[in-house]
Amino acid sequence: MRFAFKELPGTKNDYLRPAVPVQVEGISRAPQLCLLDTGSLHNRFGAWVAEAAGVDLAAAPEERFGVGGFVTSARRASVQLTLGDTVWEAPVWFCDPWPLAFHLLGQEGFFRWFDVRMRAGAYEMEITPEH
Amino acid sequence: MNQVQATIADQEFVLADDEVERLLLGVMPEPIGEHYVVIGGRRFPPKQVLGVVTGLDRADFNTHQARRVLARLGFTVGRRSTDVILAVPEGVGPHRGREAELLRAYRGQWVAQRGLEVLVAADTPQAVLAWLERHNQHADAMFRVPADEAEAGGSAPA
Repeated sequence: MRFAFKELPGTKNDYLRPAVPVQVEGISRAPQLCLLDTGSLHNRFGAWVAEAAGVDLAAAPEERFGVGGFVTSARRASVQLTLGDTVWEAPVWFCDPWPLAFHLLGQEGFFRWFDVRMRAGAYEMEITPEH
Repeated sequence: MNQVQATIADQEFVLADDEVERLLLGVMPEPIGEHYVVIGGRRFPPKQVLGVVTGLDRADFNTHQARRVLARLGFTVGRRSTDVILAVPEGVGPHRGREAELLRAYRGQWVAQRGLEVLVAADTPQAVLAWLERHNQHADAMFRVPADEAEAGGSAPA
């Protein structure tokens, strides 16, 4: 699967981000834009996604940690995710607050499932499911 | 203020541009077909706008009548099939900056996008999802257009 980098408007300069649309089970009409974040160990999503998808976080313990320069509280749940034709189930930490434009895909919840090749010079990435 | 008098469905109306803008403030645009009108920086189907401001049933007038009246009021009307961006920015990226330019008007808002087109923009993700459901639309991607550098930063370097 090939994906183009996402162009996002900025104040001084615009941003080019390696982000892909991931469908979260329960939100079929709107795949969520997720940054491929090699520096993140786990998947981190905004908490509103869990509520919209009907993911029950009531029994999950709350954790606090820093992400991208801010501190957030998160609860973990295992969620079915889809990228292109590939479906996988991975733990996602649903975070509140979540001031980022996109969600984050990390090593354990994403990169261990896919072979990812970045072609930053061509503003694209090639993603192949690992078997 | 720009004001026009128009006869629509055998009824006389006096419409003003600022009144149209005011009436559309809290209205979510419906899916755009071929034609659109730009009001308050957002694209609406012309018939939706004229229906809102006149209270008429949309079956009482056609798209061309709606376009004509709204154009006379000074609003930009357009056609999606011919809506080619001529002033393509010479930027970098897979779309040479065109996608960033299209999204610039939606900074700080949640959007659902299909291709490069913004299907809907709203202040909350719940409003975007509700709009997609209500209009039976599917998006390619949904996200918040960053309002500042921190929102676009993530954990990656700028």
